Amino acid sequence: MNVDEKDGSGVYQRVVLKNSSPYHYLKVCLVLEDELTRLSAVELKHFIITGLKNLYGEVGAALSFDLLKYDEDTLTALLRVYSRGLVKLWSSLTLLGSYQNQACAFRVLQVSPFLLALTGNSRELHLD
Amino acid sequence: MSVDVAQAPPSLLVCERSSFVEQNNRVGSHVEQLHFNYKVSLLLPECSSAPSHLDSVLKGFSSFYLIRKLPIYELLNKDFLETAVYHGSVYGLSYKTRVDEDTCVALMPNGRLCLSLDKYSFQLLGFEGTRSRFRPKDRHIVSVDLTNNSMAPGGRGYLRLLTGLMSRLPLSMDFLLSHHPGGGASLQPLLSRYDWSEHRPEMINQVLPHLSCPSDPKSCDAQSFLEWLGAVDADIGSENSSSSFLSSFVCPELKTVLSRALRVSICGLLLPPDVHRLIQEVRRYLEQTRLETWASLTVHGFADSPVSWRDNEHGHLRGGENFYTLLMFQDHAYHLYLATGAHDTCPP
Repeated sequence: MNVDEKDGSGVYQRVVLKNSSPYHYLKVCLVLEDELTRLSAVELKHFIITGLKNLYGEVGAALSFDLLKYDEDTLTALLRVYSRGLVKLWSSLTLLGSYQNQACAFRVLQVSPFLLALTGNSRELHLD
Repeated sequence: MSVDVAQAPPSLLVCERSSFVEQNNRVGSHVEQLHFNYKVSLLLPECSSAPSHLDSVLKGFSSFYLIRKLPIYELLNKDFLETAVYHGSVYGLSYKTRVDEDTCVALMPNGRLCLSLDKYSFQLLGFEGTRSRFRPKDRHIVSVDLTNNSMAPGGRGYLRLLTGLMSRLPLSMDFLLSHHPGGGASLQPLLSRYDWSEHRPEMINQVLPHLSCPSDPKSCDAQSFLEWLGAVDADIGSENSSSSFLSSFVCPELKTVLSRALRVSICGLLLPPDVHRLIQEVRRYLEQTRLETWASLTVHGFADSPVSWRDNEHGHLRGGENFYTLLMFQDHAYHLYLATGAHDTCPP
């Protein structure tokens, strides 16, 4: 952490924080072979935990993450995970390939250490 | 070789605290130096509708233009340079191109043209450039100052770049364009030659009832406040407990409940002078309101712009984030948070 104060009175303060975010946030979308299949938020979280357990065992299943928001119609979710667990969560999402005997895939749309960044993605600008 | 799976990608958060009455405050320069803004999000606690002076500024963001299949050499057209680039500020950015896979082009208000090219395209163009700071093996940056004497129409550098873009690497792409202060009139000669459309920034107002909020944003730590603000913007509920199965996200401690809050978001190619005007009006609103309150303004840059602040190279990697949040108080104090991702340099 770098602290730069312009004068002694502390009128101007600038602090640079490197890799300080305790969490990372992911915007993910589940793509299923049968597009009519719907999952509830609880089912989705349970499915992701299953993926963690398959790849990393009981230790992986104990990885703490939050399902902040979930849209059942588009199967799109916002996840929050401690930064040190990001790679584990991301890799288990990537390797989840089957849900109730049908092929599936998680599309990781955006990953950021700032939740705010997920609310302003310019790739969603459509002018047509 | 083992890989540390507990290591997260790097990020930067710069926190500035000062006062608008300080002559040396840097809000103006930060706003001006982030050239390509995609979204502005304003949060006004204890407010249900914006006062007229603020509303007119929110609705008065400049229009921008989308030109279909614009040959990039047109940006070197002598008439365009004389009517638009040399007089005023042109904001131009390639549309629907991804800076991590495609060629991206930006024309900055200071007259600098920046091309982010893959290795093959760079070799075809045959113009001086530098290796990308973040992807030196497969990406090159060509950055030229069109207002420099060496790039004056007819000059050696100008002709070399023009020939490269006309014959060796004939780039054409959909392009977003705006001009300050001239607007469409300065761009008309260019627009008239291609398929174009005018777009107004899209504005959405929403009143949020019974919003849990940190009771003292001034003393709230930066990460917690930004997370809470992100949750408000993303419509994420914070009424959870630490034992909830789905989510344990809660509002930062010492919270209060606002009876209502106004959230306004504007999307499009948004110009820094308009953002600056909005900040002035929000400050005026804070001065006039009787309640003890505050306001926050978040400005997101384009994730696929080849530059972020100033002329600093910008890459996407995982999120492409480059945004700032300005938290303003009634006593003219402000907190400014500037955030960037892994493929970005520290904001100035």
